[in-house]
Amino acid sequence: MSFWEYLITRHQQLLTDAFQHVSAVFQCMVIATVLGVIIGVVSYRSGWGGSLAITSTATILTIPSLAAIGLLIPLVGLGVAPTVITLTLYGLLPIVRNSIVGLRGVDPSLVDAATGIGMSRTARLCRVELPLAWPPILTGIRVSTQMLMGIAAIAAYASGPGLGNEIFRGIASLGSANAINQVLAGTLGIVILALLFDAAYVLLGRLTIPRGIRA
Amino acid sequence: MSPSHQSGSGKGPAAPTRPPGEHDVKGHAFHDEESDPSPAPAAPERRITWRKLVVLPAVLAVILVITYVWITNIHLDSIAENSLSGGNVQLRWWQHVRLTAISTFWVLIIAIPLGIALTRRRLRKAAPAFTALANVGQATPAIGLLALLVIWLGIGPRTAIIGIVIYAVLPVLSNTVAGLRAIEPNMIEAARGMGMSGRGVLLKVELPLAVPLILAGVRTALVLNVGTATLATFGGGGGLGDLITSGIQTQRMPVLIIGSVLTVVLALLVDWLASLAELALTPRGLEER
Repeated sequence: MSFWEYLITRHQQLLTDAFQHVSAVFQCMVIATVLGVIIGVVSYRSGWGGSLAITSTATILTIPSLAAIGLLIPLVGLGVAPTVITLTLYGLLPIVRNSIVGLRGVDPSLVDAATGIGMSRTARLCRVELPLAWPPILTGIRVSTQMLMGIAAIAAYASGPGLGNEIFRGIASLGSANAINQVLAGTLGIVILALLFDAAYVLLGRLTIPRGIRA
Repeated sequence: MSPSHQSGSGKGPAAPTRPPGEHDVKGHAFHDEESDPSPAPAAPERRITWRKLVVLPAVLAVILVITYVWITNIHLDSIAENSLSGGNVQLRWWQHVRLTAISTFWVLIIAIPLGIALTRRRLRKAAPAFTALANVGQATPAIGLLALLVIWLGIGPRTAIIGIVIYAVLPVLSNTVAGLRAIEPNMIEAARGMGMSGRGVLLKVELPLAVPLILAGVRTALVLNVGTATLATFGGGGGLGDLITSGIQTQRMPVLIIGSVLTVVLALLVDWLASLAELALTPRGLEER
């Protein structure tokens, strides 16, 4: 069976896998973004708080994802739970680091000005500091998403959802005629989805980065 | 004397309107050298502190001891016993170390010279193509790449190493290129102006300035490769991934936990060693202040 025929006969299965892959990565990215920005906001003012946040998330990233999944299985079982926890944890680091760097990079005179016109601490954060720190945070989100696309593929080994199942089906049937089609469909599918995500982020950047600070 | 004549003295009446450390010289701001906001560095700090040397190995040792005590005190059935006895664990550990070391060696051999070549004048035009390739490469899942290589080259450690190398070359390459580009053009021009040849500039100016970056590349490659080497098991390459996958397949949690804990320990240990090397080998003049 040629690759093309394979795609046509299995398109139902492939589309389901692709949708589940995107939906898992997207939902975990939303959680990771919210958590990451909160961690950034809480810790960027203190020197040791910021470095603690960055060091601990960097340590998590050093751990191979298969080992992290392996450690979670005895605790939460197979399936969706270890996938979601792993993806969220790994997605945190670039976002936490870029939020802290971005928030620290805001020109203090602008914050002073905001205080000067009577803004409260919350208003300063929401209307001045976070919008100015948004471009680096968005970069962190992009980096995270790229990484999670690959980790989600590995999580399929622990019965997680997504296109990784296609790859592992191919590995399990090495030597059969369909092995290459399955692996190729899974891999190319993930590459395409990752590039689509990236394009979506570029668009999101266009829409959400305030006009005044665009490069 | 009218005030306008006094302003040239640097301590005229206009001075108080300037921020501290600035004089008013003929209407222009003039920085005071001494009151530069960044004070001269005090006694040089020791780069490798005892905390850095002790904390992580101590934590890892505690983790290993706890795991060892736990595993010797629980009942293992025959399947788990088989996977963990007879030196199998040691074998997987060393396979993993070897996979990581060999693949890191090749990554550096390939990526650093290629990075230098891509910043030379003749090949500079090829660099954007490599950047684009690096972007697509980053989107490729490691497991998919490895599976394709296995289908193409057959199973075995060689295939696994090739896969690990391919996966790590692009990030290290793009780091090297970015770092060499970030060197101030002034420095290169100054070296040129002193009459250095292109080779002299590369060997005596650019490479020494790029040392921190190359060390960072080594660390990146090592950490990435420890991680990718866990996937070698899917290509028959052995390593600690073997314990993890057989633990999942046979549903023997002790095997799974031993495999995962050892992988975590190895990854953190490798990162720690690389960070020490980074600190010890960076030229003093290039440290971040």
